[in-house]
Amino acid sequence: MATTWFSAPAPVARRVRAYFAPVNRATAAPTVFDPAEQGAFSVDSPPAPWISLGWIQDFTRKSASKTAPVLSGIPAAALEQVRETLNAEVSLQFLSWTKLTMALATGSQHMNLLAPAVGAAGAADGALAATAVVVESGSTANFVSLAASDAAKFAPGSIIAIDADYVGQTGYVGSPVSGAYVRQPLTDVDYIRRITFNVALVSAVSSSGLTLAEPLPAGAPSAGSKLQALTGFVDREGGSFYQEWSALFVLQGSQGERIFFHYPRLQTMAGAEEATSPIGAKSSGSQARVLLKAQFMALPVIDPLDGERVLCYRSFLPAPNGIV
Amino acid sequence: MQNAKDSFYMALRNRLAVINPDRTILLRGTVRPGIVVEEAEAPFSPLPSDVFVLRWVGLGIDTDLASTMAAEECEILYQTCGTQSFGGLDRGRALSEMDEELVAILQPYYTPKLNYTPTPPAAMLTQVFWDEAAFTPLVVQRDLLSRSAKVTVLSYQEQGE
Repeated sequence: MATTWFSAPAPVARRVRAYFAPVNRATAAPTVFDPAEQGAFSVDSPPAPWISLGWIQDFTRKSASKTAPVLSGIPAAALEQVRETLNAEVSLQFLSWTKLTMALATGSQHMNLLAPAVGAAGAADGALAATAVVVESGSTANFVSLAASDAAKFAPGSIIAIDADYVGQTGYVGSPVSGAYVRQPLTDVDYIRRITFNVALVSAVSSSGLTLAEPLPAGAPSAGSKLQALTGFVDREGGSFYQEWSALFVLQGSQGERIFFHYPRLQTMAGAEEATSPIGAKSSGSQARVLLKAQFMALPVIDPLDGERVLCYRSFLPAPNGIV
Repeated sequence: MQNAKDSFYMALRNRLAVINPDRTILLRGTVRPGIVVEEAEAPFSPLPSDVFVLRWVGLGIDTDLASTMAAEECEILYQTCGTQSFGGLDRGRALSEMDEELVAILQPYYTPKLNYTPTPPAAMLTQVFWDEAAFTPLVVQRDLLSRSAKVTVLSYQEQGE
């Protein structure tokens, strides 16, 4: 008789992969991950709208929820338990510096350093920016249509930010991720492009527009969007804004099993901090890899299944043929 | 454990045939991908150049698990003198090419376990897996450059093994 099963030991995993999806801050609506429908995705191409944050290390999650006994009788004995507080924390180190990882790892809002206008006075978070160019119709997530004269201002290797002009609105701004909360009207017309997550690297330039190395996080640019070059990123210690995201962490086991940790709402709970990791355990040199340290607090969502408030979902897809 | 060793070797052999089909060896009248298992061939003296030679060395067993785990250490040896057309002056480049090929064929770090005793091979239930290779320093003997890398190949013993 053919053997059709085996006793699966504890999963063995080499590393952890992290994925990001936006939270609608105005409605506190997170992105849902369904492990039953989406759990078999290729780790290199997650289902939309999830975006890979690459491999991470020192991934630690901690439940800080507290329970207390309800005592009854003489002498008192525990009659039952009640959950007094609901709290969970996640900490990790990102192994790459990108717009997303840097923004999530910082404790406050994260900004794009827009290419400055000629002769603009310096500023700690970027000088007055060069004038934005209008994105033409027909653009896609991977190609930005521009007038020929505007396209000529960019070169392969440029980094660009695409979003709407700031016109004095207050509240959460930025698409598809809210990058800031404006408490009072500002004067900088480029403010939304300073804080937008909708950035990409230009891989090729033609007279009709820009081809991007990766798709824009917001997809095809909406009507009225404008584009500016940027030179890098900046964040600050201080401020009142907290980044929030839907997080998914995946451990791929050696036998094809998968463990998912889905935090619908994670907020940063520590300021920007770095960790260094020496290159090569046996190396006596002084070169070290600089990693982004991040620490998050989980916020609750209401599970529509039964109305319970929850912070995190842990899912396990067993190894094929493994006894459950 | 033999199934894990066979599966590891066949995975590397198939991957090498895709990555560099020109790396071959003529053995017993047959041209094959340039990777062999030392213990499954007639004794070599010296080792063939421009070919990967798998030598099984260490063995560890963990029986305190739901399924017994075997950790088999594989030493992968390779050497080159470069090519005649360049008078051997390209031996450094040739060894770098083999370094890169070995890194490439070891990924992904797993492969399905198959039983190669029957024909065609029979699929088993688990996967064989391993981690990154540990490379040794280069050894120079006149115009011969050689290196080895060690990989610990892990597998679970299935019923009937």
